[in-house]
Amino acid sequence: MTATDPAFAPDATVEVDDASVWFGQKVALSELACSFGPGVTGLLGPNGAGKSTLMRAVTGLIDVNTGHVRVEGRDPRRDRDVHRRIALVPEDEAVPAQLTARELVRYVADLHGVRDPAAADRALELVDMLPAADRRLRGFSKGMRQRAKVAAALVTDPPVLVLDEPLNGADPVQRVRLTDLFRRLGAEGRTVIVSSHVLSEVERLADRVLVLVHGRLAAAGGHRAIRDAMDDRPRHVLIRSDDPRRLAAALLGVPTVAGVSLTDAGLVVTTDRAGDLAVAVAPVARGLGVHLREVRPLDDSLESLFRELVR
Amino acid sequence: MSERAGRTSTTGRPSRPPLAAIVAYTVRACVPTHGVLLLLPLAGAVLFGLLSRMSDEATAIAFVRVGGAAMHTLVVPITCLVIGDALLGAEIRSGVFAFTWLSPVRYSTIVIGRWLGGCLIAAVILVPAAAAAAIAAGSPSSVGAAIVAAVGGSAAYLALFLAIGASFKRPVVWSLVLVILVERLLGAALAGVAQLSPGWLAQSVLVGLTGPAGDLQREGVPSGWAAVGRLVLVAIIGLAIATRRLRSLRPASSAD
Repeated sequence: MTATDPAFAPDATVEVDDASVWFGQKVALSELACSFGPGVTGLLGPNGAGKSTLMRAVTGLIDVNTGHVRVEGRDPRRDRDVHRRIALVPEDEAVPAQLTARELVRYVADLHGVRDPAAADRALELVDMLPAADRRLRGFSKGMRQRAKVAAALVTDPPVLVLDEPLNGADPVQRVRLTDLFRRLGAEGRTVIVSSHVLSEVERLADRVLVLVHGRLAAAGGHRAIRDAMDDRPRHVLIRSDDPRRLAAALLGVPTVAGVSLTDAGLVVTTDRAGDLAVAVAPVARGLGVHLREVRPLDDSLESLFRELVR
Repeated sequence: MSERAGRTSTTGRPSRPPLAAIVAYTVRACVPTHGVLLLLPLAGAVLFGLLSRMSDEATAIAFVRVGGAAMHTLVVPITCLVIGDALLGAEIRSGVFAFTWLSPVRYSTIVIGRWLGGCLIAAVILVPAAAAAAIAAGSPSSVGAAIVAAVGGSAAYLALFLAIGASFKRPVVWSLVLVILVERLLGAALAGVAQLSPGWLAQSVLVGLTGPAGDLQREGVPSGWAAVGRLVLVAIIGLAIATRRLRSLRPASSAD
């Protein structure tokens, strides 16, 4: 670990130290070392990457087989008081179906000794659940259940909030509202850890991204920083011009170009160094008298980054 | 968004102590959703009470021998098995238990709260059933003893089923193993097993408090209030095991 290692957050509240978790023969986390601090951190990875396992280990739901997990310096598995400081929104759809949303939130508040009688309603209001607060959870959609669980987590006013796929099932309007809420919680100085399969949401949500693949940390940092750290991986740039064939032939002579292909959308150039390519394209086109209409990286989204990481 | 507005009361209420919250939650969340399931033990108890009338023996003796035995062999353990699984095992399997586990509440408080909630549910179901069985058997003087036996037996059963729920991935299977293999088979052969068996002890409570002929009292097993004391001991052991097992519980599946 170094001060500049993007896997580690400054002022860390949650520390994961060489943690490994396995279930029988299946290794869910493998010597994972990272930390989380104030602000929103996104956890990214395919199914089975270890995201939920990491979140469960951080909240003490499961024990790590080797290594350590610490929340504010304490072991969440051994120290029950840690749960006054951390809350989890689990991915499981399961909720106590017989209860209403208000009853669930009040139950969690009672267990945490929340004395403010209005806290439950405030938490429900934060996720726009107040109008449905007295309906049984049994009749809720997946998105509404998620929001009820978020309210149950927020009622304890936790400094550390762990959200496992919290936007699952939410409609577009609620996605925007919840995203804004989580960003606001992060801006307040809380440690917010969010996992999501919808990668564009992680881009919108998180200041920092950790990418897990096969239980290991594949990348860490801002999503652009992760991209920059992958200079040895090929990138694809779409170039639209009025004469793509001549431009393609000329670009093959440029050292940074690894390959070209003509597609319906335009000329797709494969390069190891996109920055150098951007500098080189304009003079080449000008020399040929070719007019450039668009130069655009095709894989600057987290989706493409993720595909490369897991390839 | 298809939310249908319900009542929108924004008034809060003072917080409850964690134990009271867990008991209230247990009663609210673990009662079977179909009301007819609550009536099945009552129907079974009445049936077994009526069967007691077919015996030529005195009504109190016939009730203890037939109705009481059926209550503590079938009605009480099966009712408690269903309730006991809902108290912990079913919630652990579904992931719902995380709402309780992820709190600063002590494990012992969680276990006692769940057990008390289960005992309340069991009492609501089994007290009328036990009374109805005695009345149906034509032995109304046995109502009190039948109720004490059913309540004591269910309290011990629920504690054991809680311990099993906290210890095994398939608590229903292990609970059946306890009731059928350990209690019925081993307990019938070995007095040492019967001495710690909720079923045998509850039956002994009924025998002792009803006061019928001595041949109904099993040798080596305490009778009457002594058996109630033994049931309390069994319950305490079950609760202690459940509390200890909860410490090492992984209340989440291995799915990612």
